Amino acid sequence: MIQAENVYFSYTGSPPYVLHDLNLDVRDGAYVSVVGENGSGKSTLMRLILRFLTPTSGAVRTRAKRIGYVPQKNDFSNSGFPITVYEALDSYRKLLKIKDRSVVTERLRQVGMADFSGALMGNLSGGQSQKILIARALMGEPDLLILDEPSAGVDVASQKEIYGFLKALNREKQITILSVEHNLDAAIANSTSIYHLVGGRGHLCSPRQYADEYLKAK
Amino acid sequence: MFQYSFMQNAFLISIFISILCPCIGIFLVLRRYSMIGDTLSHASLAGVTLGLLFGQSPVLGAFVFTSLCGALIEFLRGYFKKYTDLILAIVLSLSVGTAITLISSGRLHANADSFLFGSILTVTRLDMLMVLLLSAVSILLLVFLYHPMLYIAYDEEAARIAGVKVKLINYLFSILVASAISVSVRIVGVLVLSSMIALPVATALQLEKGFRLTLIFSIAFSIVDIMLGLFLSYYLNVAPGGFTALVSVAVLVLVLLGKKARAGLAARRVE
Repeated sequence: MIQAENVYFSYTGSPPYVLHDLNLDVRDGAYVSVVGENGSGKSTLMRLILRFLTPTSGAVRTRAKRIGYVPQKNDFSNSGFPITVYEALDSYRKLLKIKDRSVVTERLRQVGMADFSGALMGNLSGGQSQKILIARALMGEPDLLILDEPSAGVDVASQKEIYGFLKALNREKQITILSVEHNLDAAIANSTSIYHLVGGRGHLCSPRQYADEYLKAK
Repeated sequence: MFQYSFMQNAFLISIFISILCPCIGIFLVLRRYSMIGDTLSHASLAGVTLGLLFGQSPVLGAFVFTSLCGALIEFLRGYFKKYTDLILAIVLSLSVGTAITLISSGRLHANADSFLFGSILTVTRLDMLMVLLLSAVSILLLVFLYHPMLYIAYDEEAARIAGVKVKLINYLFSILVASAISVSVRIVGVLVLSSMIALPVATALQLEKGFRLTLIFSIAFSIVDIMLGLFLSYYLNVAPGGFTALVSVAVLVLVLLGKKARAGLAARRVE
């Protein structure tokens, strides 16, 4: 689903590189968590896959017909924007040129937020907004879902719900998931594999291998 | 007062302004670009002076020059990513410099002063036609681009992923802003034009509604502000632009007081 080959990236176009000779192969139907310290290049990698950035050298390719993206709740600070949950989803439906209006209520029901369609986005809790952002990302029935720290600013109960939902999407609907994670326990518990980035270089491992490495290091 | 044709013209133009300005203003305010309105209204003065210099319609001159300045702001955004306020200072210098140089040269075929403070006496038939044409095209374009512009303002990255051509729409939006400003500058005047773009929206935001309702309330407040400003300035014999700005501040203060009183009542009920 996603292939990155010999990717180098620097924001200035010259060394030092944020990503060094990075290689990644995400298979269809996988649930990959990208983990690493702050500044290790996780968000840069995600932005390269989303084509918000282009590699300095090397190539990043995706075979996804449609990508769903869930931004980090803390980055998405546009909380004062006067928009209702329904407007945020319905307007996005129109951008995706989906004619069927019922998709909006269907997605809201899917994430358990059907009663909140008239609420202002800015009045929702962290967990509630995250669910709406997931509902929006699922609007176009994506085959690849990219999430940026889905549990940031979300209470424990909602985290459990969100990860359960993501896992079900991956297992039952075969949606490939790439999630940038700070929540290592969630990464180990839910992913099919983990991409560990250290200083701009990465390697793919199983959650078990990563758990062993992580616990040993601790 | 409607027995005078200039008052009929002013009334008709005011209706278009009061719909167009908040439609543009809501996107500017929500993208934290309110000061672009101020910069481009100064650019429109330079456009007016260029129009007068070449013996053309000042509204057309304002539209062309303000559109170019709007496109320049969008272009410079790529060079001054971390200092976007500097872009406004650059375009403001270019505009005010052009306007002052041309006005002081004494080569203009008419007086540009009426554009500074706004005037209802100097609206010509050609101005009227230009205003109606630009307003109609702008409102149509706004209806057509409503959802992409809403999403660019709300969440630009999500808009990009949905396939919205953000850069193209930003350039089109610059032209829309230029159009709204050129249309309004004759009546409202350069100095207070930005208040007509931002204040009705600021007032509507106090009501804490969704986007569509905020837009509808912005238009309603704008109609109240401009109509009251126009009527009262006629009877008080003052410039309509300045008085409209004062009315819009008064309406905002009234809404803020009403909101505070309502919150106080709700708190008392809880006690």
